[in-house]
Amino acid sequence: MKKRILLILSLVLILSMFLAACQPETQEAVQEAVEEVAEEVEEAVEEVEEEVAEEVEEEVAEETEEAAAAGPDLDPAEVAASLPREETVYIAGLQWSAVVGWNPYSSANNNAMGIAAGSNARVPIFETPYMYNMINGEQIPLLADGPWTWNDDMTEITFTLKDAAMWSDGTPVTAEDVAYTWATHVKYETTAGVGYGDYIDNVEAMDDKTVVVKAKLDEDGNAINPLLLKAYVSSEYVVQKAWTEILEARAGNDATALKEDPALDFVSSGPYTKFYDDDQKVVYIRDDNYWGQDASMWGALPVPKYLAHTIYADNNAGFLALKAGEVDVSQQFNANVQDLWLVDNLPISTWMEEAPYGLTASLPTAYFNLESFGLDNIAVRKAIAYAVDYDTIIANAMTNQSPTFDQVPRSVMNPTAGEQALYDQEAVADLQWVGNDIEGANAILDEAGIVDTDGDGWRELDGQKLSYNAVCPNGWSDWQAAMEIVAAAGEKIGIEITTLYPEWGVYQTVFVNGDQQEYDIFMVWSDGAGPTQPWGRVRQLMYGQFAETQGNWNGNWGGYINPRIDEIVNEIPSVTDQDRLVELYTEATEIYLTDIPSFTLMYRPDQFYTVNETIWTNYPSAEDGRNIPPMNLLDGFSIAGLYELELVNP
Amino acid sequence: MKGYVKYFSGKLVWFLITLVAAFVLNFVLPRLMPGDPVAIITQRTVQGMASQAGIQKVYQQYAELFGTNKPIHEQFIIYIQNILKGDFGLSFSQYPRPVADILKSSIWWTVALQFPAIILGWLIGNTLGALAAYLKKGFDKVIMPVSIFISNLPAFGMAVVLLVIFGVKLAWFPTSGGYGFDMIPNLSWGFIWSVIVHYQLPFWSIVLIAIGGQAIGMRSMAIYELNADYVKYSRFLGIKDRTTIKYVFRNAMLPQITGLALSIGTMIGGALVAEVIFSYPGLGSTILTAVMGQDYPLISAVTLIIALMVLSATFLIEILYGFIDPRIKAAQTD
Amino acid sequence: MKHTIREIFHSPKFLVGFSIFMFILLVVIFYPLFVTAEPLEIIGKGTFFEPGIYVNVYDGVNSKQYTLNLDDAAEKRIASKLGDQERLDMQEWLLSFGIPEEEIDIYDTEKLIELWENNYDRSIRFPGMTSARQKYFGRLNTSLAGLLSTEGIVLAAENQETGELESTGIIEQTNYLNVGQVANVRVLPLGTDNFGRDMLTELVSATGTSLKIGFIAGSIATMIGLTLGLLAGYIGGWVDDIIMFFTNLFTVIPSIVLLILISYSIGQEQRGAVTVAVVIGFTSWVWTTRAVRAQVISLRHRDHVNLSKLSGHSVGHIIVHDILPYIASYVVMAFILQISSGILAEAGLSILGLGPKTTDVPTLGLMMNWAMIYSAHIMGKWWAYFPVIVVIALVSFSMNLMNTGLDQVFNPALRE
Repeated sequence: MKKRILLILSLVLILSMFLAACQPETQEAVQEAVEEVAEEVEEAVEEVEEEVAEEVEEEVAEETEEAAAAGPDLDPAEVAASLPREETVYIAGLQWSAVVGWNPYSSANNNAMGIAAGSNARVPIFETPYMYNMINGEQIPLLADGPWTWNDDMTEITFTLKDAAMWSDGTPVTAEDVAYTWATHVKYETTAGVGYGDYIDNVEAMDDKTVVVKAKLDEDGNAINPLLLKAYVSSEYVVQKAWTEILEARAGNDATALKEDPALDFVSSGPYTKFYDDDQKVVYIRDDNYWGQDASMWGALPVPKYLAHTIYADNNAGFLALKAGEVDVSQQFNANVQDLWLVDNLPISTWMEEAPYGLTASLPTAYFNLESFGLDNIAVRKAIAYAVDYDTIIANAMTNQSPTFDQVPRSVMNPTAGEQALYDQEAVADLQWVGNDIEGANAILDEAGIVDTDGDGWRELDGQKLSYNAVCPNGWSDWQAAMEIVAAAGEKIGIEITTLYPEWGVYQTVFVNGDQQEYDIFMVWSDGAGPTQPWGRVRQLMYGQFAETQGNWNGNWGGYINPRIDEIVNEIPSVTDQDRLVELYTEATEIYLTDIPSFTLMYRPDQFYTVNETIWTNYPSAEDGRNIPPMNLLDGFSIAGLYELELVNP
Repeated sequence: MKGYVKYFSGKLVWFLITLVAAFVLNFVLPRLMPGDPVAIITQRTVQGMASQAGIQKVYQQYAELFGTNKPIHEQFIIYIQNILKGDFGLSFSQYPRPVADILKSSIWWTVALQFPAIILGWLIGNTLGALAAYLKKGFDKVIMPVSIFISNLPAFGMAVVLLVIFGVKLAWFPTSGGYGFDMIPNLSWGFIWSVIVHYQLPFWSIVLIAIGGQAIGMRSMAIYELNADYVKYSRFLGIKDRTTIKYVFRNAMLPQITGLALSIGTMIGGALVAEVIFSYPGLGSTILTAVMGQDYPLISAVTLIIALMVLSATFLIEILYGFIDPRIKAAQTD
Repeated sequence: MKHTIREIFHSPKFLVGFSIFMFILLVVIFYPLFVTAEPLEIIGKGTFFEPGIYVNVYDGVNSKQYTLNLDDAAEKRIASKLGDQERLDMQEWLLSFGIPEEEIDIYDTEKLIELWENNYDRSIRFPGMTSARQKYFGRLNTSLAGLLSTEGIVLAAENQETGELESTGIIEQTNYLNVGQVANVRVLPLGTDNFGRDMLTELVSATGTSLKIGFIAGSIATMIGLTLGLLAGYIGGWVDDIIMFFTNLFTVIPSIVLLILISYSIGQEQRGAVTVAVVIGFTSWVWTTRAVRAQVISLRHRDHVNLSKLSGHSVGHIIVHDILPYIASYVVMAFILQISSGILAEAGLSILGLGPKTTDVPTLGLMMNWAMIYSAHIMGKWWAYFPVIVVIALVSFSMNLMNTGLDQVFNPALRE
């Protein structure tokens, strides 16, 4: 009996193998069936949606919660057994494990496709008053109506909200919502509340639609940091007051409970809302009542009905899916991405056709630990930085997905035009090294009297051999490859450098301590593009207050101290005169390139951006002049791309 | 009968002791790893924050929430209390998702992938091994070296080769996931079909490797038995070959069944490579991400499940053996 | 003894396994004598150079040139840029542009290119054309430039004083060079890896390291397994209980999980190849213990053991003289299997990113790991991962074959 069962079982399995192998025909049949089902289902969805809409109209604000819940509570499987390919944009590289929550007050939602506040806030679900455009630094009104304005003292930002702006429950977005969001952030000490708390005094509603953001003031009555007010309006979401109150009641006004709430009943203002999620994917569905179709905003709905993100186990799985046409937009570092079109002839493109393929905006940087023996000596720092072969780092570790330091000379600026214009390149040209300058590096050391005195092949300083480790987290492959090349440079100039790759868990508990002695040369990311940049990056690279603090996530991890830099960092936020700004940034660059407290190893995009034109086309690209940034059609003004997509075969 | 009781109670005592020890180790080992998972969560939360004190505050909050600021023995007591209530706690890496929820959604994928694969590999392997032993000559000459070669391909090597040939080059099968990238789980033929298609590559990568090892083992056992005295004697008595063979293979099968039970017990560890390379959902990849994310509660829970499965499997085998083969019991109790 | 060894070498299975293993071992030993390059030296700027012979272009230009008048040279040159597919693609573009089909003769190269050059406009994107396709035509257009030219290439050097280019010679289309006469030629039989390292040199060096790891891990595992198995099996009682308790504990926590936890805990800085080998050894002794114990239990009531006991020999004496010799062959086989599983374990660990640190030495697992990180298998760079799999399979295949051969010698019943 048992045997028979086993026999049948194995027969079924083998049969399924054969069936699967002669897949093409069968699959077509299945495909057809599925499509039919999909069509029927679609009709059903429309009906259901209409009903929902009607319901919403009928019911008034009191019953908000119920109505909001009705939309997402559709059983997705009943609605669509499979997502119609021609109505879905697939994104990869953002979401690496199951979605946890939808709570705009929490930073632990792990809902990366939809919810990520910050410099380039992700706006498909929740929306910010303004959208940041990293290409030109503009803040484009979203919920807000027209540009914001400073008061005369630069202590208050005022903006109004669009009349059309609505929540998904049909109620208008009001100034009170904006104010209450801020109050909630402060009250429950959320990330935003704590982060902006030192700089923003209050957010107030002047009337139904007018919002004022008030800065905290220093003794002289000036805003402590006007730049951060400016950043706030494009970085933080606006959340509905009525819903927030429901959330608070549910959490019993407890901060932890509030942040832990998965918020499945959220009310939002964005064009998409949750549809389905499990361990293998997350899908958003378009809200066809989205306020933004009003002429005062987009004048239309975004093109794809669904946004989907398959959760891949690793980079390779996502890469394979991109090749197979199962991914439309990929935010992954795909090594040798150009082979996809040069060798495999696939309809895949990046932001630019030629290297560096993307719009690079951040500066992965190696910090010198100034407490390590010898690294307090400028000559040693300079020699190491001069000797590193950056071209090989860019060609091998980054597979050319970064401009070289010939193309974008090193400074504190990222390669975007906006930032490059903020300093005087001519003035610091003599200080900008390209790398792989072994001769120069040796000369610097010889001149400083740091020579090999005992003939062991390594140089000594005061009789002590120069020996360092070069550290970055394990598994961060392009960084690791870069560190190998740094170590190779050390060998050529007689300074012993060995690489070390601790696990990230270990790494991040060490490098954040200002007085750590374990890592000598270690790699950390840098700020990318944002409304506070490049000021934020200058501060991150050199600000004295960060030095030698514990649990420092802010910057200056090597412990560099220079009072002049601190003055510059403190002055820049209040400067409005362009020439003065350039002057200050140039001075900061000059100090940075002279003292070399750290050195940039490569340029890297804020988001990698590779698009597949199997189904969709008309993606934003560098050549099209539309100024839509390559941020995966989700971040800041990049979402404009979703309104311009077209089908390849309409 | 008394002997049996003594034998079983002895086994049971050791079973319990091992379980307790494994339980303690499963709690302690992950927590001995260097690094600070609370700092990882904090980093996730505070990105972009400018205030020192604020970051510290967030860190304290999480430490309080997970109880990592308490001494380890207190954490252990809390852990036991929660486990007894069936509460595995909250996952660190997927906070605030409960561990039980993560396990629930991944364990069936692993079981559904591994269980049939192990059984089928075992069946085919043993059939081939028995045939090799019985038919000898040509068949044996081919089957043996091929089995040895295939079973010596490293598991990831087999997976990568299958992936490249059938997934990338021929594109017969999808390369990742448990079902179609455009599907939403439901009970339709389209979905079931999609699951079957996605199942193939990881499934065969496990089966192929298992076949070789089983065939080699079965062949040796069968040859031993074929040359045993009772076979010669029954041949001498003129008993039909067919009848003898039945006994031969039944006897040769016994140790193979132990192997089967053990590989079923250890299936979670065994699934790791296939799950990782084919991006297949399941406990194997769960434990890897748990280790990387220093997710103590999740690691402890998965290792606890593994321990329970292996222990039950070995315990059952030993009990079964006690019944089937009284010699074993005798050897143990003297 | 002599007889056994002779018999072993008469077993064809053992012999085949032994030959494969020795071949690998000899290559590992002798290759570095002939190729002295550092295995980890980064020589290529760029990733995954294809296997082949790399000829220095600068030296080539400056080496002696020969004139060969080959009829099909021009044809081949054109075909390398303008294959059938490209011609069809050009036709497609021209048709979309509105050129009547009868005017396009895709096999008349000159006319086709002329037609193309007269009409092609990079900025045109026809309806339904993807931007990837538009870019493809742009690249095609670039590659056609100067394809029909019969002129040579003028070499020029910069005048140090004036900074102007001065012609120093012409390379005609009929010029050839003899590879043997070029000063710098590097053969990369397996190309380069993602770091731009010579794959073959690295592979040989990695095989050596992996063998070492396997040997260390195998020795440790066998030593522990043998000792514990002997003690548990022979002494029995509570010693047996305790040892079996630990054995069970190690089975219960699967070694791969244990390995992951330990490797993770050790951290990369201490994770040299030897450390990894030791860790593998300390986690894989379990089944040797079980097997040895089972063997010893079946031996301990044999007559000769009892006799030895009656003669008052110590436990140590009995184990060494009356038990060990009977299980020696078994232990040797277990050792061989442990070595090959040690190599597999290292590879498995490295694949998961938990292998030895990368700067010291290459190992097979690390090579595989880096190849996968840089997606070699997806991008069709077979030379970066397939040889590694083959080597691992061969090493472990040869050992198992030897093992089977030994098995048949030691257990005559298994012989055909």
